[in-house]
Amino acid sequence: MTHQPIPTPDTPDRRRFLKGMGVSLALPWMHSALAPSARAAVDAAGGNAPIRSAFLYFPNGVWEKAWVPETQGPDYELTPSLQPIAPVRDDVLVLTGLDKKHSHGGDGHYAKTANFLTGMPVTKTTSKDISSGGISVDQMIAKHQAGQTPIPSLELATEPVVSGIDSNVGYTRLYGSYISWETPNRPVAKEMSPRIVYDRLFGHASKTSHEESESYTNLLDYVLEDAKRVRGRLGRDDQFKMDEYLDAVRAVERRIEHAAHHGGRDWEPSVDPVEIARRRPGVPNDFREHIDVMLDLMVLAFQTDSTRVASFMFANDVSGRNFSFLDGVAGGHHEMSHHENKEAKISQYQQITHWHVQQFARLLEKMKGIREGESTLLDNSMILFGSSISDGNRHDPDNLPILVGGRAGGKFNSGRHIAYKDVPLCNLYHSMLNASGIDVESFGDSTGPLTELS
Amino acid sequence: MARPPRYCNATPCSSTRCIYLLVLLIGSLLSNHAIANPNEATWKADFEAHVLPLMKTHCLDCHRKDNAEGEFDIQQYADANTALKHIDSWERVVKRISLGEMPPEGNEPLQPDQKAKVQAWFDSRPKPNLCDELASEETQKWYRGTVMSRRLTRSEYRFAVEDLVGKVLPESISLPSDGSGGEGFDTNGDSLFLSPIHLEGYLRGADWAIQQLLAPDNSTEFVLANETSLDRDAANGIVERFARRAWRRPIAEDELERLMVLYDATLARAQDNSGSKQDHAAFQQAVAQPLKATLLSPNFLFVVERESDQGGVQRLTPHELAMRLALFIWSSIPDAELAALADSGENLDDVIVKAQVARMLSDPRASRLGENFGLQWLGLTDLQRKVQPDRELFPDFDPALVADMRQEAITFVSDIFQHDRRLLDLIDGDHVIVNPRLAAHYQLSQPDDSFPSSTDKTDASWQRLKVEDGRRGGVITLGAVLASTSHARRTSPVLRGQWILSEVLGSAVPPPPPNVPALEGVADDGKPRSLREQLEVHRDNPACASCHSRMDPLGFGLENFDTVGRWRTADGEFPIDASGQLPSGQTFSGPSELKKLIAQRDNDFRKHFVKKLLGFALGRSLNKFDDCVVTECLEQLKLHNDHAACLIETICLSHPFQHRFFKPPQPSE
Repeated sequence: MTHQPIPTPDTPDRRRFLKGMGVSLALPWMHSALAPSARAAVDAAGGNAPIRSAFLYFPNGVWEKAWVPETQGPDYELTPSLQPIAPVRDDVLVLTGLDKKHSHGGDGHYAKTANFLTGMPVTKTTSKDISSGGISVDQMIAKHQAGQTPIPSLELATEPVVSGIDSNVGYTRLYGSYISWETPNRPVAKEMSPRIVYDRLFGHASKTSHEESESYTNLLDYVLEDAKRVRGRLGRDDQFKMDEYLDAVRAVERRIEHAAHHGGRDWEPSVDPVEIARRRPGVPNDFREHIDVMLDLMVLAFQTDSTRVASFMFANDVSGRNFSFLDGVAGGHHEMSHHENKEAKISQYQQITHWHVQQFARLLEKMKGIREGESTLLDNSMILFGSSISDGNRHDPDNLPILVGGRAGGKFNSGRHIAYKDVPLCNLYHSMLNASGIDVESFGDSTGPLTELS
Repeated sequence: MARPPRYCNATPCSSTRCIYLLVLLIGSLLSNHAIANPNEATWKADFEAHVLPLMKTHCLDCHRKDNAEGEFDIQQYADANTALKHIDSWERVVKRISLGEMPPEGNEPLQPDQKAKVQAWFDSRPKPNLCDELASEETQKWYRGTVMSRRLTRSEYRFAVEDLVGKVLPESISLPSDGSGGEGFDTNGDSLFLSPIHLEGYLRGADWAIQQLLAPDNSTEFVLANETSLDRDAANGIVERFARRAWRRPIAEDELERLMVLYDATLARAQDNSGSKQDHAAFQQAVAQPLKATLLSPNFLFVVERESDQGGVQRLTPHELAMRLALFIWSSIPDAELAALADSGENLDDVIVKAQVARMLSDPRASRLGENFGLQWLGLTDLQRKVQPDRELFPDFDPALVADMRQEAITFVSDIFQHDRRLLDLIDGDHVIVNPRLAAHYQLSQPDDSFPSSTDKTDASWQRLKVEDGRRGGVITLGAVLASTSHARRTSPVLRGQWILSEVLGSAVPPPPPNVPALEGVADDGKPRSLREQLEVHRDNPACASCHSRMDPLGFGLENFDTVGRWRTADGEFPIDASGQLPSGQTFSGPSELKKLIAQRDNDFRKHFVKKLLGFALGRSLNKFDDCVVTECLEQLKLHNDHAACLIETICLSHPFQHRFFKPPQPSE
């Protein structure tokens, strides 16, 4: 995976690059999918298609009896909660019995969500030393693939960060709102606006000026210098906050540079620009539409190879979202997840789970319909779908509900149920890292990859 | 509504600070050895002879060993010294005993004389006088709850841009939402992070803001509409004026030069393109560039408090103090007057700070105290998402009411400060502030002329209405509170009671134990039961009773308000019973009497409120040294008949608000 060196910010070459390229616009980046040079090269070389990975989180766990299949292997019977994956069951791995041991202490929710993708202990705090224990697996993959796509990763959501602290349990509520962590101490902000996600990916197609792009670069160079000056005057404790700013400026600069640098990619996607323009979203009317359009944008981003990594939160932890639009459901998600072993609540809880699995299955079907040479987008992906607790009434972080869609470019042998017992969830992440071409000794509390996946 | 702009008439130097300054002057001459308390021995003996045996008799069953209830293990306390070390735990214990909450129902109660003995023991505890110790080496810890050089919060960014360009930042320029920390506010530096999508948002924001600034109809002081000379000097002037305000300090010559490099580069290119030297469009394009840079710079986006070489406790510079004042009261940056004051080189002494606080509170921007502090305190920041009454049961509910309720909450809280009302009005105030739509929703009887232009139901005119029957008034009966503590299909006396305990009285309510038994809507005999009857099961189970006997009765008192905050006398087939009995034995019926009872715990409320306000102002968790400021605030309230603006003033004059602690700096790279 070599590519041409990107001119550093200070070389005059860089300016020349930017001048020559016709980047956008109201936002200074535009994806190659809309640029003629890219379209010329679209003759999809499916064989080289990169591996995409997504991590979809849903809150409040599941009713295990309706989730865990009785038998293992390819002939397992779909349980009520898993019914929606029927059309794509050959593309899905059902993994049960995976455990997150660092979430057994702490409290019912916050100490289990923030580390969904890190697997490490969450620091109990309302203020100082906020930490998810480690980098999250999505960010780890993004870091290793930096520079290969315009955007290293997408972090999407449909709910804002929960404000306030929970002084009863001693955690800040923001722990329940982030699964992507760039470092143990730095959660990655989530984008909620479909329109802004779209514009990040494709810019406005209307006006184009290399001068605007250059003016943005000048601005960013200027503020980078400003930030370095300010940083030098700050106390030690404060400097790391300025580092976040510096990193953010550099990240945006890299994106502009990437747009200037079409040439050296080892794989070019095939997407009709008219189709892209058609899919510019509006403001969603309700959360169902919101979820729909965010997942659609994720597919579009993968399809155009704008990014290869994404995380998505259906909702924040403890979400009380009202699901009474489902027949027979009269109440909020969190309320139902505390089913108290009552039949009436359990059935509503199950229906809400069923709805989430449906969205996952639809996503997979959509991806399966997108061809990449001899294979499909889904074949070249691994889409994790899961929750950070098993039973919503007990809040246990063992026997987690985990599905993985896609074949990771042939590395996963899908269509099976594999039942583990007390195996770290991080072993799955270990496998996903390996499938992304990243060799690690271990990840989080992993004890090795899940060898049974292939 | 104009009041004399004077809130606390205490001496310019409030008592805590006087002591601090004195000690500071005398410096190391004073040793920090606490004077031995002659009563300490008696106190300790009292614990071992009376209090501990009493506790062992009555409480040991539940409060022992690893799984001790409430993380309170009596066996841990073999002697009084251990109790002294964990005196905070004992404060909670004694409070719950005196409120009759412990031992819980179903256990042998403590007799009044036994309770009194425990209380008297606690009250006579040795109290280290932390406020007198402030100047010692050791107490520099005071500032280690460091206020960070944090970025602006999302709301502060929006308000600052609004104040700079004179227009409200549109929703489409969205920025990621912020979490909270410290005492539960987004101003806490530890919980503010910055990702690339923030920066992209700032780019959008700067583009939009400068467009507004350069628009022909702009009326701010930065760009003069009749700017005729389109030369570098004019640009220089505009950029300097704007950057000075946005960065809250004078701009150094080299800083201005760096900004003007952006102007020069853009102008040269623009002139190349147009081929003209006197081109208005080219000038605008060129001057826009340094202006945008100003808003993208960390000098705007961050609250930068620079430090001295030696580190340690340091007084804020006038510019830094002006910024803290503006952030606290306006959630924004200093205006022209504050800026000029800071520039004048004069020390911002207490007299000046007081005058500024008064001026700032009388400015409309002070309503942001309600929007920013108020909504966060009341837990109403995400109201639109929380209030979603079931459409089947509430087909007529107008979603616009949610926005009205939010506005009502904002206005009610900020009005307390802006018009210097009693702090306790937040509990038992005899007025509401509503618009016609809310007034109709609440079925408020009103004089016909109370809304002068109320022909239009959606009219945004807000009025202060007196409430005679005591049903409404105060934060507890705000529509936003009643609705957000309800489920989609029914009210929740539990959530409402819990809300009162934690947000109003500052009392901890632990989460329910796992595998709680079910609430049955139908009894064994098949007869449907009212919500109240269903909740009575909490009383029968001691595991539930210890908390629910505190929460549920408070919630019952509000049962006359339905899921969306309307008044009702029946819930379906069941008439409302809004009576209740608190663990203390006090009884009440209905919201008016309930509020009166809560108002009797005014000290709990005031203390909790002051801690919240101070935590918001300082942007960090409070520590025990901050209790000095809390105490000072409570004393000032008492001196000034509970008038609320006094709190803002006392906080702004307080030591931690005007100082900060710096670690010695690291050599820069």
